[in-house]
Amino acid sequence: MDYDAQLRLQAFLDGELAEAEASEVTDWLARDREAAALLEELRHTCEALRGIEAGIRLPESREFFWSKVEREIQRLEAPAPKPAPVPLFALLRRCLVPATAVALLIIAGVVLTRPTGPSGLTPAAEIETALADSGAFTYRDYSAGTTLVWLSYPADNEVAEDDETDIVE
Amino acid sequence: MTVKDHSSADDPTLVRVAQRGDMAAFEELVARHRDKIYARAYSMMRNEEEAVDLSQEAWVKGWQRLRQFQGESSFGTWITRIVINLCLDQLRKQKRQRTESIEAMSEESGGVERQMPVVTVNPTAGLERGELRQRIDRALGQLSYEHRTVLVLHEFEEMEYKEIARTMGCSIGTVMSRLFYARRKLAVLLADLKKQDSV
Amino acid sequence: MRAKVIPGTGLVWFSMALVVLAGGEVCARAAEMKLQAFLLWGTDDSKPPEGRTYKPVEADIRQKLKDLPLKWANWFEVNRVAFAVPQGTVKVATMSEKCQVNVKNLGGSEVEVSLIGKGKEVVKRKQSLPKGEMLVLGGNAPNSTAWLVALKRIE
Repeated sequence: MDYDAQLRLQAFLDGELAEAEASEVTDWLARDREAAALLEELRHTCEALRGIEAGIRLPESREFFWSKVEREIQRLEAPAPKPAPVPLFALLRRCLVPATAVALLIIAGVVLTRPTGPSGLTPAAEIETALADSGAFTYRDYSAGTTLVWLSYPADNEVAEDDETDIVE
Repeated sequence: MTVKDHSSADDPTLVRVAQRGDMAAFEELVARHRDKIYARAYSMMRNEEEAVDLSQEAWVKGWQRLRQFQGESSFGTWITRIVINLCLDQLRKQKRQRTESIEAMSEESGGVERQMPVVTVNPTAGLERGELRQRIDRALGQLSYEHRTVLVLHEFEEMEYKEIARTMGCSIGTVMSRLFYARRKLAVLLADLKKQDSV
Repeated sequence: MRAKVIPGTGLVWFSMALVVLAGGEVCARAAEMKLQAFLLWGTDDSKPPEGRTYKPVEADIRQKLKDLPLKWANWFEVNRVAFAVPQGTVKVATMSEKCQVNVKNLGGSEVEVSLIGKGKEVVKRKQSLPKGEMLVLGGNAPNSTAWLVALKRIE
């Protein structure tokens, strides 16, 4: 059986042949056992694949997966940050009276080095470069002061071991 | 705050509501179709993490393009096509980065499937569904991405040859060759696996 | 004329002394960050694998993890490293044979954290980490478990 004939059998199975040609193939199959066997093999393979995807489930909870999708949508839709206001320090620098300028410098120094609370973060303050994984997802819990960076790695990843009993040692 | 319950609405209703900006309606659509989208991505990528990422990306793109969806197909079909295209883009990118093995190149140039003896035993006979799924999984993982993709688009997405050709950017003849090779190789792999497991 | 200038000059010198003292205090405060890094393993099993003596995580960390969108029911502490990072320096905390976390103190509560896995830099993150706050880096692990590197600022 030549290659074109084999492909014709496949097209017949897939309903890609015009009616007249399909009818010719039906006649051919009735007299050619090799062709009939090949068609049967192709049919078995199709049947084996049927419904295979039905048992596959997304391995993340509804809430977690949605939180990632939602966060990404919000990130992409967020307006560009406004330009930072002129720092107080720059305004203060213009004051030329020595004692007052020095006193204000002290105050500015104290203010700028005070640890910032959660609301002190601006988008520009956080920069993340995921080198091996461009799918990193970030979640911030402002009330608890926790930042989560979730890296999408295959199970065999750079940090955990392959064997779960040897996961990190 | 009252959260609207969208669980009883049908897909077209949810789409209309989501198109007006209702994220909760979109979330319901995600919940309904997420497994199918992930399954399609997994079938193509054969990697759980990549499939999750691409599923996520598909949903984000789905939201961004939702206004363009006019109901010409079902929502499920529409979002599936988005994830398929994302997977194809990713696979093409990986192909450019990956050195082709000799076997993969010989698969591409074809020929071997024409001489394979016909597998006369039905390799799926007598198998539990779960076991069959595992075998198919292993066998699919052994195909090259081009052959697996054409198989997935035809068998799972039920695309016709010409649509597959358009999606993959190749000729109908190439689609037919790849599909034939993929099916024949799968039959041999399944038969081999059956033999191995029974030894 | 000279009598009027002297008090002004004295005031300037006094103010400058205040600046030096205040600056010193500021520098001292920003000088060093005290951190604890935890390597954690997440699972839905109620106990660690056989042969492993991982402890359940401390209550405060468990509470913080509970508020994150992580699906695993239980977290175990695999390793813990406490260290201090002076301003402008980088400290390396080795969490396991294959996992390190590098922390650079950029000053003003800003840190740059790099996670190294199997010798490769996996992710780098720059952010503010005030006292009491925690940065958690994580990912999936085999058999539907998870790994986390949690970096908590103590001081």
